[in-house]
Amino acid sequence: MNANAHWLDERRAEAANRFAALGVPHRRIEDWKYSDLKTAIGSANDEAAASWAVGALPDGVELFDLANTAAAPEWVRAHLGTLPQNALASASFAHARAGFALRVARNKAAGPLHVEFAKSGSIRVLVVLEEGASLTLCETQKTDGYSNLGLEFVVGVNAQLTHIRMAPHAAGAVQVEEYAIQIARDAVYRAHLFNAGAKLGRAEFQIALAGENSGAHLSGVSVLGGMAHADVSTHIIHAVGHTTSTQLFKHIAGGKSRAVYQGRITVEQGADKSDSRQTAKALLMGERAEADLKPELEIFADDVKCAHGAAVGDLDANSLFYLRARGIPEAEARNMLVRAFLEEAVDEIADESIRATVWQAVEDALPGAMAP
Amino acid sequence: MLEIKDLHVAVDGKEILKGLTLSIEAGQVHAIMGPNGSGKSTLSYVLAGRAGYEITSGSITYNGEDLNALKPEERAAKGVFLAMQYPVEIPGVTTLTFLKTALNAQRRARGEKEVDAMTVLKTVRKRAAALKVSEEMLKRALNVGFSGGEKKRLEILQMSLFEPKLAILDETDSGLDIDALKLVAEGVNALRGPERAMLVITHYQRLLDYIVPDRIHVLAKGRIVAEGGKELAHELEAKGYEHIVGKAA
Repeated sequence: MNANAHWLDERRAEAANRFAALGVPHRRIEDWKYSDLKTAIGSANDEAAASWAVGALPDGVELFDLANTAAAPEWVRAHLGTLPQNALASASFAHARAGFALRVARNKAAGPLHVEFAKSGSIRVLVVLEEGASLTLCETQKTDGYSNLGLEFVVGVNAQLTHIRMAPHAAGAVQVEEYAIQIARDAVYRAHLFNAGAKLGRAEFQIALAGENSGAHLSGVSVLGGMAHADVSTHIIHAVGHTTSTQLFKHIAGGKSRAVYQGRITVEQGADKSDSRQTAKALLMGERAEADLKPELEIFADDVKCAHGAAVGDLDANSLFYLRARGIPEAEARNMLVRAFLEEAVDEIADESIRATVWQAVEDALPGAMAP
Repeated sequence: MLEIKDLHVAVDGKEILKGLTLSIEAGQVHAIMGPNGSGKSTLSYVLAGRAGYEITSGSITYNGEDLNALKPEERAAKGVFLAMQYPVEIPGVTTLTFLKTALNAQRRARGEKEVDAMTVLKTVRKRAAALKVSEEMLKRALNVGFSGGEKKRLEILQMSLFEPKLAILDETDSGLDIDALKLVAEGVNALRGPERAMLVITHYQRLLDYIVPDRIHVLAKGRIVAEGGKELAHELEAKGYEHIVGKAA
């Protein structure tokens, strides 16, 4: 590396040290109890470069290829690798030589912008929304082998980032993604996830509501069958007061699949008038399917509203009988009830065409989840 | 149309119906009256084909066919309709979508042409008005947030839409005030016809003042213990179940 890239060397070295100290997570680490990464990856590592493709750039969006860090502009230097990193985010930051940075200029409304990830290895992504900017980022996760993607989203004052993450079924893949997201005053981050599962799939969100009146709204559905595994682990930090977070996740687990949701909320001292709600529900379609739902609250402020709920169940026998007694064949009745179960979470998506895309992905994944 | 012979039914290994015999012809309305725990709901569920109701002996023949060999949805397509005592709330499925899906599933099973959404809407609207089922109710999720009376009216609306050959009304009067009861009874009476048989199951005589049956059967401890014309309801009301059940034992 030449001297120009020096700004990055130090940050990467720190990340490498952090990863060396923490190691690859395994199931004896509480946060990874339901997703045994060490066993799943075996001897694979994330040192190769996974591939990325970005669709046509909307007006007001700037793209920088991180393969050329020496020439990085100031906004990349200012943000890349600055948000908190856990073990895997440290690994992806230390190892990744591929990736890109995006910036949406001040007060520009951009989107949708399509991003696709493929192959195996690491990738680093930085997305910066300047004050008043907005972007709809549509991500498709199509990696194979073992991939470890680290993304940082810096959502500026009064900016709006809507993030769609589609993860179609990837039977043999181990897909880990860490999102570190910082949300400034009056800014809103929305995420909508679709998971059909992988050999091991984990989307990890570390979200800081760093400015007053900021919000994070996450929703998602997982439709899993066979041996699929999908883990959504979130940690939302209400760092200041008058911040709002909502989460609504619905999971269908058939066959021998496993749906995981871990949602930790931290309300820091003095973050009064914070409002947080989280709901996670799972329907088990197979006797050997498993759902692990773990909401967690850490509250250090006095005047806050925090609500959470989690429920795992089977398809309601009364409802099924009612529909069948009205002439609706069993398979169709089951599908109706499953769609009805998911609908609330899919309806969180405001954009009609994106909603239709998600429903199509649900339709494609349902037969696998409903198969005995 | 319906012939039940010496029917024994067990739920969770416990015998609930213990040799019930009953037959209903097309065009007739029969009532089954009985105290709590007599097996009334078991009879309605076993006719509709609910899982967990095991026929240990005896038979149910419907239009010459062994009813027990049919799935619930097949029974519905062949004209069996159960108006349920506790209609189920299904969030996420709008009432109108449900009605259209059910109607077309039945038609498809019978080899009839499916009807489009507009036609279903028109037919439903026409029938809903008489039952005071509002447009707004049709747009809501099925039975969700409906009052007891609204749920029962929706059951009767379904009956009027599906035009069953055999309608079983399981305690359709329970939880209804007198105005709601009259409305439901009018809806049921409008559907009486020479092609249709009805089995009205109730604990109370009150309903039978409005839906006057051709014949009344008294069910107690899993058996029919008394039978008679419509006057039997008044005798029951005046003297109580104990009188008749005791006499039969």
